Amino acid sequence: MRKFKSLFASFMALFFAFGMASCSNNDEPDQKPDDPTIIQDYHFDLWVALDRHGGMGRDVQTLVRSLNSLEADQPEITFQGAGTEVNSILSLETILKGAYYYQVPVSGDRFAKYIIKDNKVEVIKERRFQKNTYSTRKYTHAWINDNTLVIMAANGDASQIIWTKLNAEDMTIISEGTLDVKMPEGGELFTTSGILTYRASDNKLFYFYYAKTGKAFGGKRVTPMMTAVINPATMAVESDTPCFLDCEMVGTAYGELLQSTTFIDGNNNLYIACVTDDAEGNEHSHLLKIPANSTSFDKDYDGFTAEGKLISVMYVGNNKAVAYAREDKIGTKIDDFSHYYTVLDVVAKTSTPITYNGQDLGYSSGRFSSRMAYVNHKAYIGVDAQGKSPQIYIYDVEKNQTSLGATMSSGYYFEQIRVVEDVK
Amino acid sequence: MLFLSHLCLQAAKPVYTLYGRVTNASNEPVSYAALSFNDGKFVTTTDVDGLFQIKLERGVYTCKTSAFSYQAYEFTLDMAKDTDYNIELKEDAVQLQGVNVIGKSIGKQLEEGAFSVNAVEIAPNLNKMVTLNGLIDRTAGVKVRREGGAGSDFDLTINGMSGNSIRYFIDGVPLETKGTGLTLDNVPLNTVERVELYKGVVPSYLGSDALGGAVNIVTRKKRQNFLDASYGIASFHTHSGDITGQYYVPGSAIVIQPTFSVNYSRNDYTMKGVEVWSEEQDRYIFTDKKRFHDDYFSLFGQIEAGVNDVKWADRFFVGVSYNKLDKDIQTGAMQNKVYGEASRHSSSFNVSAHYNKRWDRVASRLTLSHTWDHSETVDTACRKYSWDGTWMPSSGNEMNNRARTIRVYKRPLTVLNAGIDYELNEHNSFAFNYMLNRRGNDRYDEADRNFEPSNDVVTKQIFSLTYSQSFFDRKWQTSYFIKDYINSLSIKQTDDFTITGSNEIDRDKTKSYWGAGIGSRYLFCKPLALKGSYEHSVRLPLSRELLGNGTTVYPNLSLNPEKSNNFNLGIFGSCYFGEVNRLSYEANGFIRHVDNYIRATVSEREGMMQYVNEPAIDIKGFDMELSYIWNSSLQITVNGSWSDARDLKKYKTDGNPSATYKNRVPNRPWFFGNIDASYIFRDIVLKSDRLRISAEYQYIHWYFLNWEAYGAVSSKARIPTQNITNLSLSYSWHSDRYNLSLECNNIFDRLAYDNYMLQKPGRSFGVKFRIFIN
Repeated sequence: MRKFKSLFASFMALFFAFGMASCSNNDEPDQKPDDPTIIQDYHFDLWVALDRHGGMGRDVQTLVRSLNSLEADQPEITFQGAGTEVNSILSLETILKGAYYYQVPVSGDRFAKYIIKDNKVEVIKERRFQKNTYSTRKYTHAWINDNTLVIMAANGDASQIIWTKLNAEDMTIISEGTLDVKMPEGGELFTTSGILTYRASDNKLFYFYYAKTGKAFGGKRVTPMMTAVINPATMAVESDTPCFLDCEMVGTAYGELLQSTTFIDGNNNLYIACVTDDAEGNEHSHLLKIPANSTSFDKDYDGFTAEGKLISVMYVGNNKAVAYAREDKIGTKIDDFSHYYTVLDVVAKTSTPITYNGQDLGYSSGRFSSRMAYVNHKAYIGVDAQGKSPQIYIYDVEKNQTSLGATMSSGYYFEQIRVVEDVK
Repeated sequence: MLFLSHLCLQAAKPVYTLYGRVTNASNEPVSYAALSFNDGKFVTTTDVDGLFQIKLERGVYTCKTSAFSYQAYEFTLDMAKDTDYNIELKEDAVQLQGVNVIGKSIGKQLEEGAFSVNAVEIAPNLNKMVTLNGLIDRTAGVKVRREGGAGSDFDLTINGMSGNSIRYFIDGVPLETKGTGLTLDNVPLNTVERVELYKGVVPSYLGSDALGGAVNIVTRKKRQNFLDASYGIASFHTHSGDITGQYYVPGSAIVIQPTFSVNYSRNDYTMKGVEVWSEEQDRYIFTDKKRFHDDYFSLFGQIEAGVNDVKWADRFFVGVSYNKLDKDIQTGAMQNKVYGEASRHSSSFNVSAHYNKRWDRVASRLTLSHTWDHSETVDTACRKYSWDGTWMPSSGNEMNNRARTIRVYKRPLTVLNAGIDYELNEHNSFAFNYMLNRRGNDRYDEADRNFEPSNDVVTKQIFSLTYSQSFFDRKWQTSYFIKDYINSLSIKQTDDFTITGSNEIDRDKTKSYWGAGIGSRYLFCKPLALKGSYEHSVRLPLSRELLGNGTTVYPNLSLNPEKSNNFNLGIFGSCYFGEVNRLSYEANGFIRHVDNYIRATVSEREGMMQYVNEPAIDIKGFDMELSYIWNSSLQITVNGSWSDARDLKKYKTDGNPSATYKNRVPNRPWFFGNIDASYIFRDIVLKSDRLRISAEYQYIHWYFLNWEAYGAVSSKARIPTQNITNLSLSYSWHSDRYNLSLECNNIFDRLAYDNYMLQKPGRSFGVKFRIFIN
């Protein structure tokens, strides 16, 4: 496996684009540095679908192939006779940290920790649910430290928010309970998962949710996005306040198992991608900020003013984030070729679409297929453009340059690129 | 030109019905006696009760009647009207070594017709503790895939087409009119004469939009009083009881036909190698556990009353039926989803009327039926069960971890089937058929207040016109037909729109589709006949596919109708070697080009199934059957089926190439076969008793759950090979009045799966007693 020298060896914690954070000490809260992830030994897991794009519970055949490199000099990537068929065990919607996948697997009765190795899904540890039970793919999560994982979701009838704190080493349940938030007036259901994230600098969990009326399709949001600030040690709710903007999170059902909708910059500002509807029903995204040492949104800040909707955001250092966004004028369906990659500058509040050789990368299809991974100063992004083979581009953050990466054979639906540490 | 040239007008002859009963000197029925008219030009056989019926044109006929152990009897009759003729055969004092039985049952005649048909005669299996599904599953080209034990959901595949491409009928009327609870699993066996399995091309009188074929259950139509009752008990706490009869009101033409059937099974068979959490070992372990929540109860009652052969009707019957089904739900679409409280209940009430009348060259038929169908799925326990029967509290219900639910489906069904046949002459005839099928889908939830009620309606209308020819002394028979399918949808449901596609469809639409076909057969000689058929057909999605089943099948409201071009070519014949050896064979090849092929997918994530369209599927294959009979005692049947279904869609709808182009369609059995052998001993203990010993072996080759070309083979999920052997022993005495059978299914206790991770029962034993009084 390739080895990379660390330029920032003093930072031992890892921060993945998928909303996961880590720290150097099991007992101390994470320190989230401005610097991106530096990993010595790693590989990429490419997740693809055969039938159509996944997400939203779509039943597709999902395959995972481990590759050491996604550089342009690699042979064309194919899944013919290669890769791991994961459907009978794993869901596409997953938590990844270090070398391990964590999730409520398809059996829906346990928490489990896996590795994918030698075309096999290997069980590292499983733990049967005890009190709180979760559905496959419908929960949100946050890492309090390297070994402590918090899972959270609405309960079955969505009348309460339940949480479970897990020891990621052996998957033992440390504690579990119900979050002390009241159903807002007029609301009947909580959001399925909500969004949970952890900020190490002030040792707070932030849980974003809203309430809606009962009808699943016709159900209407009755509150703005709410922010519950939680003490991670006791899981007590310290505050629960509505957002100043009548908005909701860009993703509510799957937490950050497929996309990342929150990140924390080098100054410990917390960002979340949100969306509002205009009078005509068109969606407009916003990137809102909770400044460091504050638990309230900065009313004067909106880091995304371009048209369309943010799908996923991934912080890459230097006050920049790579975003997967949708051009709503072109199409809003899952499979529409209307999605593009752009670089957000959270200070300048600009959005600059990524180009290669001065040309746009082309719109991708797949709303839940944000193929973004960041490692060692490089963002790997997958483009699934109409009439072209799926193509990986490599965006060098420091040089602000994009180069061509590996190409995938035609016919596959490009789902996720995941950076996985090698098992030592 | 062919049509016109064959439309030659010739002197037409009216057709009359000859019916009667063949008995012995003790007035006991003679089963399976052969009646041959004019040296085999027309033939029929008696049923298990000695009854026969045949339609003959006006004329004089010489009939030879023969049966094993009886002297042949020959007589002449003038068919100038419908005739009731009873025959008494004398027993052969020298005990014939065998009788050259040349008669053919109606089923056999069907098989030798223009269409590709299997006809399963029920009489030889009446004494077994078996369902229609079990019998059909053993025929060439047919596969029944079960999700578990008695009462579990099943899918029927005929020549590679999925189960729901198949339409089910009872006496030509959609079986669903009897309610969703009545299936091939619980239709009372002793009410059935035979089951006709149409492979590919379906005769238009069935008024069907079937694509892969049709199953028509033909009930017994006796012209005498009788009572037929049976009770069976089997492993896994299985009980079944059927009683049916017929009573002619003295001095009138009125007939009353009551039927009652009840089935129960606890289905507590052992599940092998299931996961159970071990506190001691702090991990999941694999162990064997019994199913603990899979009770199945079904009840069916029906009474029909009417008249036969009165001035204004050949047959007019009105009937009411009631069907009830209670089924515990043990697992989701995979056995790692374990439920301990969820259940499904349905009840249906049906009223129907049937009318048939023939006027010289014109025959008419009319069926009108309405069914009140009520089903509910109860999932109110917030528990998570394990295979050891233990549970823990859950944050949501059992089946999908959501709110408690008592989901109610009211699906009223109205069916109108009307047809008129016109015989231009002995060579040419026409038939017109109209079928209306209106299904409502009123959904609401008694527990989940957030469920949004809806009321969908699916209406199908099918018009068909058939022209039939018969030449060269009936050796060449051809049918041409054309169909118009009109499908109307009114969809109101909006929940789970990302799964059901309810936000992507035109909610109120009516569309028309055309289909046409031809079937032809030429009989060169007894050992050799050829038949071929073609149909461009349309299959409108079933309510189960479109609207789900409320438990394990999600709706898919954006499903499109399947369209198919079906080609069939068959060869069949019979050879006799001496007087006691008969060898018959049949081989059929088929090609299906299907657009928007509907197939079931399993969402492992959800533990649910859903039907989806595959844009273009090409299926080709063949099936064969070889049967040897010796001395009317030994019968050996071997059949095999092979099919190959490929995805032919080169590009996806987004314009990009499809990775699955030319790949084998996954999750479907493609190679399977059966070997059946039976021997009948006669006059063992009592005079006219019989002992039948049967052995059956079934092989189903393994297949992949997902597209086979992708992913490392070692990582791929597959449904393993099945090797199942059954044994049965059936003893009948007093001329079949009393019958007792013993059987052992899956005698070697092999693991068997038809669906991924849904284990079927292991070894089981059963005993059944049946009494037939007439």
